[in-house]
Formats: sequence, structure tokens, C-alpha cells
Amino acid sequence: MTSAVTIPRHGGTGGRTAVAARARQVVKAYGSGETRVVALDHVDVDIARGQFTAIMGPSGSGKSTLMHCLAGLDTVTSGQIHLDETEITGLKDKKLTKLRRDRIGFIFQAFNLLPTLNALENITLPMDIAGRRPDKEWLDRVVTTVGLADRLKHRPTQLSGGQQQRVAVARALAARPEIIFGDEPTGNLDSRAGAEVLGFLRRSVDELGQTIVMVTHDPVAASYADRVLYLADGRIVDEMFKPTADSVLDRMKDFDARGRTS
Amino acid sequence: MTVLRTSMRNFFAHKGRMALSAVAVLLSVAFVCGTLVFTDTMNTTFDKLFAATSSDVTVSARSASDTGETTSDNGRPPVMPASVVTRVRAAQGVKAAEGTVFSTTVTVVDAEKDSLSPSSGAPTIVGSWNSNDARTMKITSGTAPRNAGQIMVDADTADKHHLTLGDEIGVISAVGTHTAKISGIADFTVTNPGAAIFYLDTRTAQRTLVGRTGVFTNVNVTAAPGVTDPQLKKNVTAELGAAYKVQTAKETADANQKDVEGFMNVMRYAMLGFAGIAFLVGIFLIINTFSMLVAQRTREIGLMRAIGSSRRQVNRSVLVEALLLGVVGSVLGVGAGVGIAVGLMKLMGQMGMHLSTGDLTVAWTTPVIGLVLGVVVTVLAAYLPARRAGKVSPMAALRDAGAPADARAGLVRALIGLLLTAGGGYGLYLASTADKAKEGSLWLGLGIVLSLIGFVVIGPLLAGGVVRVLGAVLLRMFGPVGRMAERNALRNPRRTGATGAALMIGLALVACLSVVGSSMVASASDQLDKTVGTDFIIQSDSGQRITPQAVAAVKDVPGLARVTEYRDTTADYITPDGKTLKDTDITAADPTYATDLRTKTVAGDLKDAYRPDSMSVHEKFAKAHGIHLGSKITVRFRDGGTAHLTVRAITSSDVVIDQGAKYISIATLAKYVPADKMPLDQLVFATAKDGQQDAAYTSLKSALHDYPQYTVRDQTDYKQALKDQIGQLLNLIYGLLALAIIVAVLGVVNTLALSVVERTREIGLMRAIGLSRRQLRRMIRMESVVIALFGALLGLGLGMGWGATAQKLLALQGLKVLEIPWPTIIGVFVGSAFVGLFAALVPAFRAGRMNVLNAIATD
Repeated sequence: MTSAVTIPRHGGTGGRTAVAARARQVVKAYGSGETRVVALDHVDVDIARGQFTAIMGPSGSGKSTLMHCLAGLDTVTSGQIHLDETEITGLKDKKLTKLRRDRIGFIFQAFNLLPTLNALENITLPMDIAGRRPDKEWLDRVVTTVGLADRLKHRPTQLSGGQQQRVAVARALAARPEIIFGDEPTGNLDSRAGAEVLGFLRRSVDELGQTIVMVTHDPVAASYADRVLYLADGRIVDEMFKPTADSVLDRMKDFDARGRTS
Repeated sequence: MTVLRTSMRNFFAHKGRMALSAVAVLLSVAFVCGTLVFTDTMNTTFDKLFAATSSDVTVSARSASDTGETTSDNGRPPVMPASVVTRVRAAQGVKAAEGTVFSTTVTVVDAEKDSLSPSSGAPTIVGSWNSNDARTMKITSGTAPRNAGQIMVDADTADKHHLTLGDEIGVISAVGTHTAKISGIADFTVTNPGAAIFYLDTRTAQRTLVGRTGVFTNVNVTAAPGVTDPQLKKNVTAELGAAYKVQTAKETADANQKDVEGFMNVMRYAMLGFAGIAFLVGIFLIINTFSMLVAQRTREIGLMRAIGSSRRQVNRSVLVEALLLGVVGSVLGVGAGVGIAVGLMKLMGQMGMHLSTGDLTVAWTTPVIGLVLGVVVTVLAAYLPARRAGKVSPMAALRDAGAPADARAGLVRALIGLLLTAGGGYGLYLASTADKAKEGSLWLGLGIVLSLIGFVVIGPLLAGGVVRVLGAVLLRMFGPVGRMAERNALRNPRRTGATGAALMIGLALVACLSVVGSSMVASASDQLDKTVGTDFIIQSDSGQRITPQAVAAVKDVPGLARVTEYRDTTADYITPDGKTLKDTDITAADPTYATDLRTKTVAGDLKDAYRPDSMSVHEKFAKAHGIHLGSKITVRFRDGGTAHLTVRAITSSDVVIDQGAKYISIATLAKYVPADKMPLDQLVFATAKDGQQDAAYTSLKSALHDYPQYTVRDQTDYKQALKDQIGQLLNLIYGLLALAIIVAVLGVVNTLALSVVERTREIGLMRAIGLSRRQLRRMIRMESVVIALFGALLGLGLGMGWGATAQKLLALQGLKVLEIPWPTIIGVFVGSAFVGLFAALVPAFRAGRMNVLNAIATD
């Protein structure tokens, strides 16, 4: 499926490449011999800087595995992954941890926050761990953007699901990571709260120039992205720019039908 | 059936988490069973020994006032004339009668004058070789002693001191020193637990031990065929009358057994007490384990309830798990107990007490007690968590988090805890102000129990404050990792409280005993400094009296200003109020004793009490019996005549050394007690001429070199010896408390391990957003340290309170000085931090190894 691979583009501002992360011939396999399961099958992908990328695909397509590998949470069987100019495949745990801490932000589907810390402490946690002082001005802007200014002293249990996810978004943004990975960030939210969170993600891309990669199976969520990558059986099978919920849904139905007939 | 199956599955699914609880049960049960097996084995050993060594009937001499002792104050055994043997032979049914002599108030030394007495406290026995001994002992080399130059030694003693035939042995008794060469070595046919036994021929034994021939201490009687022991006893008693003690073999064995039993019971109950403390601590561990398992399983239990399990079924399924845990732990514990018993026997062997594994006695009750105790305690401990499990609502299956904490329960708990603590505090206050020791100790006991329970109950509430303070002091410097550790420790105060409380119990006891111990040393030192005006104290560390020869040797030392002799005896008093006091102590000393020990008087001059036919009494005694200066007291001395003594001084009752002593001079005593019944000195005090202390000390030491049973100490060494003695005792107790502390540490490990499992997703999240392994491990270690320090702080505080109260109470007994052993206390506190670090090793390691992806994977 080479047709789905975007040609890497170089350039951009400040010596930085226009590609925030790239994967080359990434294979992720579990087990060996007859029980070998290939989750990623020679995947090549470029994540454009300053863009909102959604990864879609049916269950078991490898979309979460791809995100985990890109984010340095999981190791690859073969192939290379670069975050900006840094090759992260082959990095030891210590360096990977530091990389995640300093250069990557995360939003998970659930259980994003430490119950013992209040909202503000959760937001600044990655910087606290690193021993860095948060940039006050930026922090204020992030907090205001996600609309949490009056909830900062609340513990996660005192916040609604939507508010919790907004805290998670704020945390991911606050440290100004090069790239934010979201794993079904709205999967546990109702449509209104989900729309709110997705709105923030969209705005952070548009207004703050943030790079975001999000795994989802919700066509509505995907419609907030600039570009949608479709995964099936561990391979990238298609991509779509400027998606709408309907076009995504149509494409999905298409795959579904093909999947059934093949 | 389903309940059992679910329980079994749960039990085996969580066997790792159950392991530590099982170890706690195992340790406690093992200690109980080990104690039982060990003491039973000792009993068997002594039973066999006494049964083997008793003759059919034994006739023994009584001392004038028979208190069941085999020796009298003059250091010589009570004896009977040889004619008794002839009379016994004349009794009906007597096949044979043999007079024997033996004594236990002897010291036996080798050629270098080093003592051959057992260090274990077992007796040293020197006796005449007789046919009864020949029955139970086998001469393994050489021959039995036949003349004055020969002596036979038991094989264990020979082994221990590398004695061989021909070695020179010195027997030091009240009579003098007798030297002989080893002619033979004899081995017991049963296990000899540790006594050192030496045999002389009969004449030499008489001369050496009693000072004259023609007397015996015992007659061993053998029954003619067909005559039973009781019958024989009757016949012998008919012949001799009541002048002598006649006992059958069984009675002799029983009497001996009784002597040993007292000591063994003390040991048994002390050890069982420590096992009990370990059990108590184990209960906390079990409660915590099951609470956490139930909490982790809330959704599962909710599901079970939703599909129709009754409360009782859920409740029972948890209890069945506890039952399984109890059975597994106890069965292993019983096995380990036998191992502990064997280990103890080996340890005792190192200390000179021989026990044979051949005598290993496992009574059928031992495994039963172990199993029942282990299972019952486990199930009881699991009862509360089980009940909580039963209360889980079916809705819990649908909710994400566990049931919210019950705020009202917290309030009730706080109230109960505060009430108990206040009650305990009041009890302690009453104890510290009590003026009667008996009443005070009752309050003390009550105060200790109530305050302990109170602290356990409010522990979770205290955890909040204490952990915050500890966090502010210790953890803040570790930044956000420290803050998270603090929050984690605070997250479930009940759990932190229970874990800390387990450690608290052991450490409270340590603190309390160390305060009492060091107060004892400080008080005694203080008293020595204030009241003792002599330089050197000579005494026997094994409680033997000091022979006149040794006293003479002391008096010959140059450079001494004075030597004071001191001896105790008993007498019957008739006081002015007309009362007769039987067997009451009286102290005889040289007049210089008034200078050596500066005892305060409330009336008269103590020096006058040493005048002829004079005495002193102490204030309380005087008050109780209407005595004042010039009162006459009739005193009938033990083994002596009756005197009418005038009271010339009344001493203060508020003293520590010689509390309650009534003094007379040795000259007065000598006037009424015949020389051969005269008690020997217990203590001898020597005072050097000014400036010659050092030289005199050296000379005294060399003068007493021939008498290894006595030790001379100056005040500094005396204080040190006292300190060492108390230190040794404390160390022994700390050693036994270590068991409880180990169980408590297992509890900390357990809590951390389960917390880590519980927080898998959190840990995964933190790792994902950049917490390094090292930081994660540090966070868990710090949480552990905080929990340990929390327990230590509570325990040490509580223990010091108990100790200080005990000191106030014991001030009545002379424990005047309160000394807090800060080095020990601080050492324990710092040590607890290390215990915390140690406990966190494995949980932290495992948390660090946790797979980030598994941890954050959504279910």
C-alpha cells in the first residue's frame, strides 16, 4: 500500500523539519512461529508538524500499537521511528522515559489523572517530575483555554468526566511537548463533553501550533483532524485530508463491506 | 460448593499476595509450637534424668529449719550421723542402704584455677561415688576414685574443658580446698542437661564437703524383692521417726522436677508471651491483606451479588479463604516449630546445656494447639474484612471506584479511640501517682492495654497528622516524588494506620523496656554514688557464700583501710506489740558497715546498732510493730539461741540498697549462733587507704585468684557489671521482640506490595508521562519509610510514656531516676527508616519492572 505513504517533506521554520515524527518499515510482532501475530506490518508514516492527525481502524487493526510505538511506550520488532531528529527505536528505558517526559504529551481514554493530586498538580506533574518550573504565562493561557481556572484546586473525583479529560488535555499542553498523543481521548465521554475536548484539541493546533496524533474509532472525533490515516491488519490502507464525519463514516463503511466480502 | 470453589480459586489466584500473611501465621505458630516442643523436650530430659538417678527410697538430712534447701547458710550441707545407715538397714524390706555425701555449694577449678562450673547456671555437684550413681553412669576411661588423691569427672564436663586422666582438679568448699587428680571419666546413660559432676571416694567427700568423717547427707535405700517403694518408705520412716526426710524414688523425682519446673514455666510462658505479641502483630497483617483483597475485588463481589449471591455467601467465601490461609500457615508453622525447637536445643548446647534430639518430645497437643490457634486467629482477623465484603452492594459492579468511605464510621471510631486513649492515659496517670505498688501496677497494666488499643483505634486518624509532619520534614526535599509518596501514604489512612500499628506494638515494648532498664541502671548508679562509701565489693556471681579462707585472703591484702563482712540469716522475732514473726531476715555486719553504706536514720545513730545486743530496724517495720528507740525485741536465731536485742537506730525505709534491712553486728550474731552453724559472708566490702586504690584493687584481684567463684569490683566496674547484666536481659527481650517486629515488617512489605498492585494503572500513567524507574522506586521507598516512621513515632512515644510511668511507679521501690536512653530511642527511630527502606525493596523493584503498556491498557 505504498500509495498511502506520504512523501517525507523537509523544511519548515527554525531548522526544524516539517515532520514531527516518522516511522519507517515498522514491524511489531508478538510471539513466534505459528502463533506469531503481526500487529504492524512494515508501516511507513509521517506525522506532519502543527497538524492534527487521526488514526482510525477497526479493533485489532494495530492503531493503538502504532501510537504506542510512535510515543515510545512500546518497542518495535524492526524498523525505525524518529521523533524529530531523534531515533527512538533502540533507546534504553531511561532515555525513553526522559523523552516522554520532556517532548511528548499524553491523553488516555480514562484514568488520566492521579487521584491524590488536584487538577493543577496533575497539570504540572510532568514538569514537576522533571524538576522544571512551569512557564506561568503559558500555564495560565492553557488553563484558561480549557476553561478550568476555577477548578484548579479540585481533586479528580470532584470533577466530571469531561472536566477530567480537559485537565488531561491541559496537562498534555502545559509542558509544550513537541507532540501530543491521544488514545481515544473522548471514548468515555458523552457527545457534548467529547465535542468540548475535541474543540480544545483543534484550537490548540490552530492557535498554539501544537502537533497532535489521536487514535479513535469515532468518525465524529476524526472529523476534527486535518488528516485521517486508516489502518487495517497492521497496514496503512488509506488516508484522507480535511475529513468530515460523513466522509469518514462512508469510508469506514466501505472498508467494512470490503472486509466482509474479501 | 460454589462458595468453596470460588474461595479456592481466589486463594490460589492470589497466592503471591497471601504468601506474606501465610508467613506471618507460620512464624507465630512456629514460635508457639517451637516453645512447646522445646520445653516438653526439656521436661522429658529431666524426667528421665531424675527417674534414673533416684534410688528406691532416699533418706536425707534436714537442716534445723527445713525450707527444702539442701544447703544451709554456713556453706555445708546438712548431715546425719553414720548410725542412721545402720538403723535403716535394720528396717524391714531393706535390701541395701548406702550412705552418701554430696554438695552443690562448691566450686571446682582446674590447675589454672579456672572454674569448671557450667556457665548455664546448672549446678556443680561434688559427691561420693556410690552404687546408685554406678547404676546410671558408665565409666568410660580410668577408674572410680579410691583414695584422697583421686577424683572422677563426668564426660560432658571433661569434654568441654578438655580434661584428661591425671589432670589436677581443685574442689573448693566452705571447708577448704582439696586437690586431686582425675582418675576416671564417667558418662551418663541418660542425657545430662548440663550439671558438672565430680566424684570422690566417700571418706574424702566427707572431709572435703563437711569437714569430718562419719556423717552423710543422704542414705540411698534399695528395696528387697517384692517390697514396693511406698511400703519401704513406711518401714524406714517407722524406724527413723520424723527426724529425717524419707522419699520414694517417685517423690524424689517429682520434687526435683518441681524445682526445675518453676524455671521452665517462666521460660515457657515468657516465650509464649512473645509468640502472643507476634500473633497480635500478625492479626494486623491479616486484616490488612483481606481488606485490600476485598477492596480490589469490589466489582467482582458486586457482580456476584448482582447475579444473586447472598451477603452471607460472599462473607463466607472470604472466611473460607482465611481458613485456607490459616490451615496452610499453621501446618507449615507446626513443622517449622519443630525446627525452631531443634534450633533452640542447639543454641542451648552452645551455652552449655545439653539436650539430646533423641528426647525430642512432640506432644499430640502441640500440633493441635498450633493449628487451632493459627486457624482461629486468621479467621477472626479476616472477619471484619469479610463482613465488609458482605456489605458490598450489587451496584458496586457498575460503579468504577470502590465504595466511598463511611464518614460516620470514622467519627465513631475517633470517639471510641479517643475514649480508650484518654482512659489509658488516666490509668497511667493513676499509676504514676499511686502510693501502693500493687494498686499502681494494676493501673499501669490497665493504662498500657487501654492506651495501646486506643492508639490502634485512632491510628488511622493520627496517620493524617503524623504523616503530614513527617512529610513536611523529610519528604519535601525530594520534591514532587516526595509529595506523591506522602499523598499515597495518606490515601488510605486506615491501611497506613494498621500497618504502622503493627510496628508500633513491638517498638512500644522496646521503648518501654529500654526506659525502665536504663532508669534502673541510672538509679542504682545514683544510689551507689550517694550512699556507698567503700571502694571494693567482693561477691560470688553464682550466689555462693564467701568462705572464711577467702575473707582471710582479702584481709591480708596490703593497703586496705578496712574490710567489712556482711551476712544474712533469718530469725523468729517477738516484737513489742506481742507478735511473732517467723523466719524473718536479719542482717549481720561489721560496725564499719555504717560507714560503707551511708543509710539515713530517722532516729538514733546507726553505729550504735552494732553495739552488743543491739539492733536497728527500718521505719516501716518500727511503725508496724510499735517500735521506738530503746524497744526490746526478742530474736530467736535460726540454728542458734534466743537474744533480747535493744533497738538503737531506726533507718529510713526510703532507701534502695538494703531496703528493709535490720542490722546487728556479727559479734552479736556470734554470741548466739554456734561457730559451726554460723552463716558465711555473702558480701565483703574493702576500702583502700587514701591514694592506694589502684594498687589495692590489683592486690585484691590477685589475692582472690585462687577463688574463681568470687569477683572483686570497684564502684566503676560494679556499675558496669550492673549495666551489662541489665543490658543482657534487655538484649534477650529485644531478641524475642524481634519476632514481632519481623512480622510487622512483613506487614509493611505486604501493604506496599498490594498497594503497588492496586495502583498499577496510576503507576503506568506516571511512567507514561515521564516518571523514571528510579523516581518510581524512590516514591515507593519513601512511602514505606513514612509508614515505618509513623509506626516508630507512635510506638516510641507510647513506649516512653509507659516506661516513664513504670519508673514513677517503681520509684516506690527505689527507681528514683528517670533516664530516657536517647541513643537507643533515636537508634530505633533511625533504624525504622531503614526497616522501611528494606521493606520497600521488593515492591519497589516490582513496580519498576511493571510494563507501562499493560499498566495503562484499558480493560
